[in-house]
Amino acid sequence: MTDDGPAGAVAPAGRRLSGEGRARGLLFEVARRLASMVLTIFGVSIIVFLVLRLLPGNALTSALGVSEGLLTHAQLVALDHYYGIGEPVIQQYGSWLHAILTGNLGVSLQSRTSVASLVGTALPVTFELAIAAMLLGLLIGVLFGVFGALRPGRAVDVTGQGVSVIGLGVPSFVIGTGLVTLLASVFQYFPSSETFASLTSDPWLNIQQIFFPALTLSLGIGAAIMRTTRASVLEVVGQNYVRTARGKGLSRHSVTWKHIFLNAFIPVLTMSGIQLGYLLGGTVIVEQIFVLPGLGRLLVESINGRDFPVVQSVTTIFAAGFVVVNMVVDVLYAAIDPRIRNR
Amino acid sequence: MSVTGLGSAPALPGELDAAVAPVGRRGLVRALWHSPNGRVGLVLVGVVVAAAIAASFGGTPYDPQFQNAAALLQHPTWSHPFGTDQFGRDVLSLVLDGLGVSLEIACLAVLIAGVIGTIGGVVAGFLGRWTSAVIMRVTDMMFAIPAILLALIVVAALGAGWLNSAIAIGVGYIPIFVRVVRGPVLALRESGYVSAGRVLGFSRRRLLFRHILPNVSGILAVQTSLALAWSVLAEASLSFLGLGPPPPTASLGEMVSQAGSLAAIAWWTLAFPSVAIIFAVIGFNLLGDGLRDAIDPRTRKP
Repeated sequence: MTDDGPAGAVAPAGRRLSGEGRARGLLFEVARRLASMVLTIFGVSIIVFLVLRLLPGNALTSALGVSEGLLTHAQLVALDHYYGIGEPVIQQYGSWLHAILTGNLGVSLQSRTSVASLVGTALPVTFELAIAAMLLGLLIGVLFGVFGALRPGRAVDVTGQGVSVIGLGVPSFVIGTGLVTLLASVFQYFPSSETFASLTSDPWLNIQQIFFPALTLSLGIGAAIMRTTRASVLEVVGQNYVRTARGKGLSRHSVTWKHIFLNAFIPVLTMSGIQLGYLLGGTVIVEQIFVLPGLGRLLVESINGRDFPVVQSVTTIFAAGFVVVNMVVDVLYAAIDPRIRNR
Repeated sequence: MSVTGLGSAPALPGELDAAVAPVGRRGLVRALWHSPNGRVGLVLVGVVVAAAIAASFGGTPYDPQFQNAAALLQHPTWSHPFGTDQFGRDVLSLVLDGLGVSLEIACLAVLIAGVIGTIGGVVAGFLGRWTSAVIMRVTDMMFAIPAILLALIVVAALGAGWLNSAIAIGVGYIPIFVRVVRGPVLALRESGYVSAGRVLGFSRRRLLFRHILPNVSGILAVQTSLALAWSVLAEASLSFLGLGPPPPTASLGEMVSQAGSLAAIAWWTLAFPSVAIIFAVIGFNLLGDGLRDAIDPRTRKP
């Protein structure tokens, strides 16, 4: 996702190496990517920091909910000093970075609790939601994509195409709102009305509460993955080696998944990586609709309350997660495709 | 393969010849009309834009904010084709008004993203190595923040509002314009006719405005359409979260959010604003796909 130049420069050297040498080349490649990833996250934190400091209003007074007039000048100065507002921007960034690196994410201006504990309770919810949505999306996308491409124009394909039109064109907040209405009015089913149960405390309720938000998110992802899978599989199906595999009398199952799907998988993986950005943005909206106490909800609440320490940390965490996952996708290419691995 | 408009890759140098092959203006419209995507896109965009323009000039059946206490939550009827909401406001008028606001914000956002992104992309592609490296690094970092998240933090910094929504959405889309423009500019800089111009002693400005930019215009047109689709969606998402322009400015996202609690008894309060958003988003996406097909003959179906 970042620069491809040095990666290309490494490849020719790797081609001549074998065994131990290649492992070392791979190690070097991973180290280079890690370094680039850390740099990117560092840059992201600067962008987030700068954008949030452009604010015209005074975060302090809006957060305290008191008009400035009620406070004496000395009190204001003391508070400014406490929150580090009067210092030069670089110094503010420096102390924030230092605090973050030592595991201290600051104190929420609204709830007066540590940002770390807020994030600690919210992160697992969003993580679970994102994983569930991605799995559902892959399931929908890959199944409809593969079987649709194998029987173009038939019922599975037409159904898949229909689902993909809905998934691509209908925003997740419309799907979510519609789904909540449907569940409540037709089935009198309100999984979100009870307080959120974690996976460990009440697994059955937790699955009910996560399933519908995840389904809402997965339609968009699934549609994109389906289109990519379908196109990619259609390309592979016509290849000679597929005909050979069929001619050898291999089982249909083996041909479909080992010969066709694995060869068609790289574009699907790329698309899944791209969809993660959508997924992270989507969790913000879906958590709002289904009242899930995740990072997205925390973010929107803190934006509304101008609670900058929380906004800053949550955004940086979101972006860091996005960067890390993109790197994992890059590494997965090599793990899945021997042609890339042995380059 | 454009799916969300966010995932479209810039043209590779090899693809460039086809991508920049000029199509006459009349030929473009005809090609657009002959591709199924383009035709549906044109029609949807036409309907949406006409409705939005009508609303901007006060062409709504009722005053959108007029609360008729005698007509709360009425079913769609001839006098209120889209029904009325819980305050007795005419949903059709609200939808038209919201569509107008939404398109105004989207256009401004795309203007911001397009101008800044194109300048960034051209500078990164046309000027020296250092400037290019710096711009691309910053773009990479902006890419590392999902666009909607970038928009959210800009709103967090600036506060909610009409102009702030447009700025936030525009900023979110800048890195995509930079990438999409830079690739072709980089390749064009080394192309035969630009080199020839350079040898002839043409100024940089002339090379840029007469020889490079016109050849990027097709790609820009495609990207603008996809960006509009994304901006309408982002605007609706922001106002759905309560971070759009505050009332009384009409907003489709806010209508959907309000309708959430009513939809069980008044489906029309949810359905019509949703359909308006969907029409606009699908319309601009299809128009973008159609433009791509029309400009790039290799993807054009016979």
